Amino acid sequence: MQTTELLNSYLAETAGWDEMYTDNNVRQQYRCVLDLLERMTIEELNRKEELAKKMFMSQGITFTVYSSGEGIEKIFPFDIIPRIITASEWNYIETGIRQRLKALNLFLKDVYNSQFILKDGVVPTEIVYSCPHFLREMIGFPVPHDIYVHVAGIDLIRDQDGTFYILEDNLRTPSGVSYMLENREITKRLFPDLIPRNNVRTVTEYPDILHRNLVALSPRQTASPTIVLLTPGIYNSAYFEHTTLARLMGVELVEGRDLVVDNHRVYMKTTAGLQQVDVIYRRVDDEFLDPLVFRPDSILGVAGIMSAYRKGNVAIVNAAGNGVADDKAIYAYVPAMIRYYLNEEPILKNVPTYQLDNRDQREYVFSNMNNMVVKKTNGSGGYGMLMGHSASEEEIDRYRAEIIKDPRQYIAQPIINLSSAPCYMHGRLKPRRIDLRPYALCGPDGIQIVPGGLTRVALREGSLVVNSSQGGGSKDTWVLAS
Amino acid sequence: MLSRVADSLYWMSRYMERTDGILRMLRINYASSQDDIQDFSWRPVLRIFSYLDDEQAAAISHKSRAVLQYMVTDRENANSVLNIVTHARENARSVQDHITKELWQCLNEFYHTVRDGNLIRGLHEEDPVSILDVLIRQGLLYYGVTDVTMARGEGYAFINIGKFLERGVQSADILDIKFSDLDITRMDTTYWKYLLLSISGYELYLKTYRSGFDARNVLELVVLNEDFPRSVLYSVKQLQKYFERLKTDRNKEGYQKLDFLIGRFQSRIKYSTVDSILQQGIHGFLNGVRQDLYEMGNAFNQHYFAYT
Repeated sequence: MQTTELLNSYLAETAGWDEMYTDNNVRQQYRCVLDLLERMTIEELNRKEELAKKMFMSQGITFTVYSSGEGIEKIFPFDIIPRIITASEWNYIETGIRQRLKALNLFLKDVYNSQFILKDGVVPTEIVYSCPHFLREMIGFPVPHDIYVHVAGIDLIRDQDGTFYILEDNLRTPSGVSYMLENREITKRLFPDLIPRNNVRTVTEYPDILHRNLVALSPRQTASPTIVLLTPGIYNSAYFEHTTLARLMGVELVEGRDLVVDNHRVYMKTTAGLQQVDVIYRRVDDEFLDPLVFRPDSILGVAGIMSAYRKGNVAIVNAAGNGVADDKAIYAYVPAMIRYYLNEEPILKNVPTYQLDNRDQREYVFSNMNNMVVKKTNGSGGYGMLMGHSASEEEIDRYRAEIIKDPRQYIAQPIINLSSAPCYMHGRLKPRRIDLRPYALCGPDGIQIVPGGLTRVALREGSLVVNSSQGGGSKDTWVLAS
Repeated sequence: MLSRVADSLYWMSRYMERTDGILRMLRINYASSQDDIQDFSWRPVLRIFSYLDDEQAAAISHKSRAVLQYMVTDRENANSVLNIVTHARENARSVQDHITKELWQCLNEFYHTVRDGNLIRGLHEEDPVSILDVLIRQGLLYYGVTDVTMARGEGYAFINIGKFLERGVQSADILDIKFSDLDITRMDTTYWKYLLLSISGYELYLKTYRSGFDARNVLELVVLNEDFPRSVLYSVKQLQKYFERLKTDRNKEGYQKLDFLIGRFQSRIKYSTVDSILQQGIHGFLNGVRQDLYEMGNAFNQHYFAYT
């Protein structure tokens, strides 16, 4: 294998599992792409990078950062080289996610109804009741078709030996799917003909499947139910995603102030009077959904919406109260749930997780802080996280003190050496750490996972944190058909 | 259609119409300032399109570059092109699922253009006309994209209602201020010529009237000419045309109220003559036009856009 200038020192910088290289050889799935890249000049590649930026900017695929009273449009960094997943890898991931979601959905139904799993002592009762996302309002309420998780964005990572692990189950309002769709559109423009030549499976069905599932949930038996997407509004960082999905599904994009509840029915205010709403795909968190039930100061939600929901007059997607199943402390029990409900061995592994309110586990974590990542059980977006290997002594001490104050708030996991993939950086390919978030859709007809997903990448050298708030970017994600 | 969406489309359109009006006015007045042997003043423009008081306006009324800076890029000026294009884009952004992707991209690009530091520097250092032309062309692109890509539904009706209501208000404002500035019987060719150029009515005027420039004719063209796309009469006729498309079995009360207001206003303009306007007093007449248009705006607000 001859190394060209593009690949200079790429291999030397890889540590652990690399998605493109194995034992000095390029993996089969990357050959075609790498060939093409090597035939291009640096100028051409720079031009493509520039074109990608321009397309994101002019299409308004941006989020607004407000500083000194003025909005500045930022794009979510995009790396032009796709991340490639083989058919067999995908097959494994897909089966694993399907199994996991099935169990999580059963858990939600159980925990809000008979609570067999608590009575049998498989999941400790206190860990459920101490979770702030466990909603008493959902107890004993039969959700339509017994589906709680309609949309899931499950985060996967790979260890240094290439094993896939589940990092997080995002079962509330997972975001990022518009980037799965837009990144693909951009790649089509950047590298003409490359996608068909590689036999890449399409992701464009996503909005159609979601729409079909939403229609099926309508409580009213009508040919064309009114479906809305509820957004917190234009200041939300995922607003672009909300408009994209509403447009692609042809449903109304509404804000809380567009809706009103009358006699336990939800209506939207139109130029021709009130129109009844049947299904709400909400991108507003539980606690803001209904000021009468949750946070009274919320203006993002709709007063009375929970009563309409409980009366069965409107379907809400995802169901309220899902947070109890993707809490980071409960995460540790998901393999046990799979065994309990399905009588199967988990296909996809959990990252080992230490519960810090358990004295022995806490002691073990405290004596190994340098090899641990400590997370808040209800945190997200990479905030409130301690990476033991790069933290200072003071930071570690501060975390220790915080943990002792309220150990239920934290979990610890060993640091995983995430797999790397090639990124184009200033005329060179550089290995950068990545994760993978495929999107699963559950409807009355079962679970469908669109072949693809969002690959997030830690663009900073050596960084293991892929969150966009921490300097992460994204890649187009290819799943090969064969 | 959601009331909030109708409201946003209506305002997006009003802001874009205002942008177009301001840019044309600036372009022609700048040209006039380069041509005028008399002491050229920006005061009328500032009175039409800004909230400056007399003293503040007087301070910059003889400095073209300062006026351009104030009217195009000043963040403190609520009516600067930068600010109203930003408002138009914000409105468009919140209704992206109701406008075409092309229209959204067009507005988004316009927004990035007015914020482009290099381009704006040209306003101060190079030929401002070429910069204003770039901006005017972006605005024309907006009109074209709207026309070519937007479905002819309710949304399109609200876009046009906003557009023609804003245009009517603008034409009344422009006339009012231009006529208040001087004795109507005075003949001043350059004065009327530049006024007509700034609202793209110069050529039509030449074809309609053979006797040179006359205040009465200008008044007739800008208020009563049915073929002149910026006249008050044309604007209200278009307004009525798009309003009628909103007729449904629902919201009868709102429809009747607006139908009455628009119909009454249209008759009032249609059955006016230059003589009747002069008899009533130009200022009084134009003020009445403005009040009627504002009343319609309020009625739309109450009957179609109320969502809070």
